[in-house]
Amino acid sequence: MGNTLLTDLRLSEFTLTNLPLLSKLLTRNLTEKPQVCIERARYVTSSLKSTQNSGEPIQLRYAQAVKEYLSRKSPQFFDGNLLAGTTTSKPFGAPAYPELTGLTIWPELETISTRKKNPLNIDSDDAKELNLEIFPFWLEENILEATRRRTGNPGSMKLFEKLVFFLAGKAGALSHTVPCYRVALERGVDYLIAEALHREQAIVAKGLLSEVDKQQAIFYRSVRTALEGVTAYAANLSRGAAKLALAEANPVRRSNLEAMAAVCAQVPAGPARSFREAVNSLWILQVAIHAESINMAISPGRLDQILYPWYRADIDSGALTVGEALELVGCLWLKLNDNTNLVPETAEELFGGAGTVPAVTVGGVDGQGEDAVNDLTYVILKVTELLQTRDPSVNARYHPEKNSPDYLKRVAEVVAITKCVPAFYNDSAAIRTLVNQGVSTEHARDYAIIGCVELAASGRSYDASSSILLNLVSALELALFNGKRPVTGASQIGPRTGAPESFTTFDDFLSAFHAQLGWLIGQAVQLNEEFGRTHQEKLPSPLLSALFEGPLESGKDLIFGGALYNASGATHIGFADVVDSLNAIEQLVFTDGRFTLPQVVAAMKDDFAGNEPLRLWLANKAPKYGTDHPVAVKNSAALLAFLYEAYQGYVNYRGGRYRPAFWTMTNHAGQGKLAGALPNGRRAHLPFASGITPVSQAAPDLTCCMRSVARINPLHIPGGEAFNLKMVPVETADDLERLAGAVAAYFDAGGLHVQFNLMTYQTLLEAKAHPDRHPHLLVRVSGYSAYFRDLNDAMKDEIITRTAYDSRTGTALPLPAGYCDRLPASDPVDKKKLSGDMMNSTLALPLAKLIDCITSELVEEFLEVLLDVMKMVFFFDEDYRKNIEGFAGRYLFRSIDRSITVSAVFAEGKLHVDEEELPDPQVIVIFKDGKALMEFLLADNSDILGAMLRQEVTPEGNLNYLYKFAYLARHLQLMATGRV
Amino acid sequence: MMSLPLIFDIRHGSMDDGPGIRTTVFFKGCPLSCIWCHNPESLRTEAEIFWDARACVGCHACRAVCPGGASEVLPVVTLHRERCTACGACAEECPSNARRLSGRHYPVEELVRILMLDRGFYRGTGGVTFSGGEPTLHVEYLSTVLQTLKKQNISTALQTCGAFDLSLFRRHLLPCLDLVYFDLKLHNTASHRRYTGISNEQILANFSALSREMGERLVPRVPLVPGITATELNLTEIAQFLRELGITSCQLLPFNPGGIEKRRLLGQSLQPEILESFMAREEERRMGELFRSQLQP
Repeated sequence: MGNTLLTDLRLSEFTLTNLPLLSKLLTRNLTEKPQVCIERARYVTSSLKSTQNSGEPIQLRYAQAVKEYLSRKSPQFFDGNLLAGTTTSKPFGAPAYPELTGLTIWPELETISTRKKNPLNIDSDDAKELNLEIFPFWLEENILEATRRRTGNPGSMKLFEKLVFFLAGKAGALSHTVPCYRVALERGVDYLIAEALHREQAIVAKGLLSEVDKQQAIFYRSVRTALEGVTAYAANLSRGAAKLALAEANPVRRSNLEAMAAVCAQVPAGPARSFREAVNSLWILQVAIHAESINMAISPGRLDQILYPWYRADIDSGALTVGEALELVGCLWLKLNDNTNLVPETAEELFGGAGTVPAVTVGGVDGQGEDAVNDLTYVILKVTELLQTRDPSVNARYHPEKNSPDYLKRVAEVVAITKCVPAFYNDSAAIRTLVNQGVSTEHARDYAIIGCVELAASGRSYDASSSILLNLVSALELALFNGKRPVTGASQIGPRTGAPESFTTFDDFLSAFHAQLGWLIGQAVQLNEEFGRTHQEKLPSPLLSALFEGPLESGKDLIFGGALYNASGATHIGFADVVDSLNAIEQLVFTDGRFTLPQVVAAMKDDFAGNEPLRLWLANKAPKYGTDHPVAVKNSAALLAFLYEAYQGYVNYRGGRYRPAFWTMTNHAGQGKLAGALPNGRRAHLPFASGITPVSQAAPDLTCCMRSVARINPLHIPGGEAFNLKMVPVETADDLERLAGAVAAYFDAGGLHVQFNLMTYQTLLEAKAHPDRHPHLLVRVSGYSAYFRDLNDAMKDEIITRTAYDSRTGTALPLPAGYCDRLPASDPVDKKKLSGDMMNSTLALPLAKLIDCITSELVEEFLEVLLDVMKMVFFFDEDYRKNIEGFAGRYLFRSIDRSITVSAVFAEGKLHVDEEELPDPQVIVIFKDGKALMEFLLADNSDILGAMLRQEVTPEGNLNYLYKFAYLARHLQLMATGRV
Repeated sequence: MMSLPLIFDIRHGSMDDGPGIRTTVFFKGCPLSCIWCHNPESLRTEAEIFWDARACVGCHACRAVCPGGASEVLPVVTLHRERCTACGACAEECPSNARRLSGRHYPVEELVRILMLDRGFYRGTGGVTFSGGEPTLHVEYLSTVLQTLKKQNISTALQTCGAFDLSLFRRHLLPCLDLVYFDLKLHNTASHRRYTGISNEQILANFSALSREMGERLVPRVPLVPGITATELNLTEIAQFLRELGITSCQLLPFNPGGIEKRRLLGQSLQPEILESFMAREEERRMGELFRSQLQP
C-alpha cells in the first residue's frame, strides 16, 4: 500500500451533513433546469464570419475564434462552489455547436422547452439569434455538409443517413479523449505559450522555410493564440470574483470570492501552488477545451495521480485537511455536472439520458508498474459515494498483483452504496491490450478511461474513440436477406451474397456474413476517413493540442496526427444477439438439420407469427453466448477475431489504426427497436443486449456469465468493452466480500471490464411507474451513468429486463412475468394539442386550413396546404419573412410511389412552388405518404430522425436545409395553435 | 463399476451454501420426506419429469416422441405419470421447456470438470457444497468426488439431514469434508416421524457424536417452517439439545415456499399444512430472538 497513509479508507467520519456546502450545491445541481447557451456559438460564428475572406489559414482563424470566445466569455458565479469557471453562461447549460450537429435542433427551436423528453429552456432572443444569425452561416459549412459537398455524397454517406447500419461519430464530435493536464498544472499555461513562441521563432529564424516549416510555424502560432484565450478567461474570472467580493455582504461568500479572485490570478496562467489552485486550474482548462471540442466525453483522466502532489504537500504542511480536500473534489464533481448536451429529441432515442461523460479514472499502477493507489484515491471514492451524481463517470482500475485487496473491497463497497459506480477495470488485461496496440509499456500503464469504457494512454493517445458505431445485426440481416434489410425495404444495400437456400454449410453462410460485415466496415471506415479530412480542413484543435504529449514536439495539430498515438475507435451494437443467432443457425440448421435456413428466414419475416415452436427452439434450445457451450464459445471468439483483423487492417488519416470496441450507450435499445426478428428467437423491435453482455437470461448463473465474458481475448477488443451485470442489492459484509471476490476472479480469468446495477426488477419497475418518486435513481447504462427518469422507455425496458442475479444464490432470476414482451408503438400525433385558439387575423383562414388538414384524415393534401399557407404567411408576416431574406433554397418533395412531385424554391424573399422536377435541389425529400411527411415535420415533439430511422421519410442531400424547412413549418403550426 | 447417482442441479456462483462463492451439487433421493421440502424433486431417487402445462405451446412434439404413450392430447396435452418412465425424450423435444427432466448421471470426471470451472471464484474460502436430497446416500460416488477435489485443494462442504450410517460416513466422507451443515428439524421424535416420515433417533445420535469430533466444522441448521418447526416448543427443545452439547451457535433457515409450485409440476400431492407464502419478517425475527436467547442464556 505504497501511498496510503489514511487509517480509515472509508473516511467514515464524513457525511453530507458535515459537508454542508456540498449538500447545498448538490441539491441545487439536481433541481437546476437545463438551458440552451449560445455564447460559444455566437462568438465562434461571428469570429469565423469576420475572417471568412481574410485569406488566413484555418488553423489561425479557428484559434482566433477560440480566443475571441474565451476572452469574451462571461465570468459567472452562480452558487457557492469553491471553483471558478463555468462551462456555459447558464447554471446548467447546453452549449450549441453549429459546426457539428447543432443545426439538428433548428426545427425544435420554438418547442424545445416543452418537448416531452429532456426539455431545455431557451431564451427567445437566443432562439432568434440561432435561427437568423448563427445557423444560416453553417448551412453549407458544418462537418456533415462540407464533407458531402467535397465527396459528392458517396454511397457510404447515404448508408450512414439511413441510420440503421452504422453511425459516423465525427459528424457530431471528435472530442472523446483524455488530455494531459499535468504540465499545464505544474508549469502553467504561460509556460506553454512561451514554449510555442520559442519553437515558432526557432523555425522562423531558419529563414528559407519549407512547406513543413510553414505549417509548423502556423501550428505554433495557433496554439499560442488559443491559449491566450484561456488566460484571458481566467483573468476575467479573477476580476469578476474580485468585483463581486466587493459588493458581497455575506462574509463567507465574500472570502470565497476573494479566494477565487486570487486563485484565478495565479492559475492556469502560472503554476499551481496549492491543491485548490491545482483543482481550479484543471477545471478552467476543462472548461476551455470546450471552446474547441463538443461537450462529450472530454475525460479528465487519472485525477488521483494528477492532483496527488498538491494534495500530499498541502496535507503534510497542514494547509489542507481531508475534509477540505473532500469539499474541493466534491466541488469539481458538481462543476463537471454543470453542462449537458443539446440534441434533438429523437437523438434521445440513441443517447438518451447520457450526461457529457467526463470520465475520471482512479487506482491501478503507475508508469513503473507499482501500486498507484493513494489517499486521494480514497477521497475521490468518498466523494463519489456521497454525491452520486450522473457525472463524472468514475472508473476504478485494479491491478490484481499490485493493488491491495482492501482497495478492491472499498471500491466494491462504493458500488454497493451507490448501486452502480464505479466501474471496474482489470489493469493487467488493459495494459497488455494497449501494449499490443503499440503503446509503450510505461504509457500503457498510465491509461485512463475515455467516456464510457474506452482505454487510452492518457494525454498521449488521441483516440477519437467514438468514430464509428456499427450495428452488427444489420450485417447479419444483410447476409440472411441477400444484401437487403427488412427495415430498409426493397433497396439492395449490401452485396448479393446468396439467398438463404443457397447455403449448404455453416461456413458458406458465415462467409456471406463476413462479406457483408467486411463491406459494411469498409463503408464506415471510408466515410470516417472523409470526415477526418473535413476535420483537418475545418476544425483544428490548437488548444487541445497544447494539452497533449506530442503536438508541441512534432509541430503538428492533433487532427494531423500530432499525438504520440492516433487510434480511431469503432464500437459495435448487437454482439450477443448476433453470436446467438450464429449459434442457432450452426446448431439447429446445419448440424442438427432440424430446420432449413429458408424456414428460419421466412419465420423471421413474419416475426414468428404462427410459428411459436420454431421461435422457442431458436430461443431455448440453441447454444448461448454466456454459457460454456463450445459452439457459443467458438462463435463469439471467431466474431471478435474477425472484427479485430478487419479493423486493424485500416490505417486512419492520422496514421493510427482502427480499434474495435463493444459499448453501446443506449443504441442497443434504439437500434433494437428498428430491427426485425432474429435467428436467436428474439422478436422484432425488442432491444438487443447491451455492450458485450450476454443476452438476458442466456447465462443461468452469475459465475457462468462472468466466466464467458472473461474468456474473451482482451487483445481483440482494444477499444474497450462494457459488461453490464445486474444483481440484487448487496446487504451484508459477507456479500460485499463475495462481490469483490467475484470481480477479482473475473479479472484473474482475463476479464477486462465489469460494471454493476445492484437493483431488483421491482425497484426499476416502480421507478418507471413513478418517476417523480425516484427522480435521482442512478443507473449504469452501457458505460455511463444516467438518471433512470431521463431514459427513454425502450432503454428503461432494456435495463429492467436485464437479468438480475440473486446475490445469495448466484442464479439468474426470471424476468418479471409478462413484462415487456412488446414495446409500445410510438405515440400518435396529439390532435387535441393542435386545436388551439385561432388567431384573429388575415392569416386565420389559411392557418385554419392547415389545422384542418393536420387534424383530418385528408393528410394527403398536407404538403400542398403547407406550402400554400407558407407562401401566404411570407407575404403578410414580416417577422416570418425574415427567415428567408437572403436565403436561397431549392427543395424537391417526392412520394416513394412518385405520385406526388413538388418543388419549392426560396429566392429573393419569396417562395415559389411547382408540381415539377427541379434541377440541382439542395435536398430531395422522399416520403411514404402525406401522413408520414406531416409527422416528420410537424408532430409535437417530433421527430425528423425518428421518421428517418423508420425509413418513412428519406432525405437526400443537405440536411441543414431540411432542418430549416422544418423550423419554418413548425413555426406555422405554432402560429395556428396560438403558441407563438 | 460404481453406480452413478442422479443429480438434479448443479448451481454455480452460489453464495448461500457456505462461505465464499460456491458450486452446489444437488443429489436425488432422500431418506426423509419432509412435507415442507423446498426441493421436492430430491425426494425420489429416480428421474422425474417436470410438466408445466402453462408453458405448453401445443406443438405436440411430446406425444410424437413418447415411447410409452404417456403423453396424450385430450385435446390439451396430458401427461399420464403412471405410464411415464422419465426417459426424457419429451423434454429433449419440448421447445418451450414445459417438459423438463429432473435427474442426470454425471461420471466422476465430468462432475469434477464442471466443479473446477469456477475454481477462480472459490478464492480459498469458497468451494463446493454437496446438497440434495441426501448426498450421503451415495457414499462411494461422493467419496471419490471428494477425494479428487481435495487433491486439488478445493474446500468442501456437505448439507445433510443427518440420517446416515455413522461409521461409513466417518470412514469415507468425513476426512475429505471441511464443513458439515447438519439439519435439526424437529426434536420431538413423534413429530419428526409425522412430518419427515422417519424417527430422529439416529439423527440426534449422529449429531452428538460428530459434534465432539468436528467442533466448529459442524454447523447445525434449523429450517423455520411456520407452525411445524417454528414453534416455541420445538426451538426451545433444539436449543436445549445444542446447549447440552456445548454448542452456542446455529443457523436458522427461513421458510422457502418454492417447493409447493415444484410439487405441482411433479404431479405430487400438496400438503395442506404448508402455506404458500414466506414467513412474516416479524415472526422470523421473533423466532430468531427466541431461539438465540435459549441457546445463549
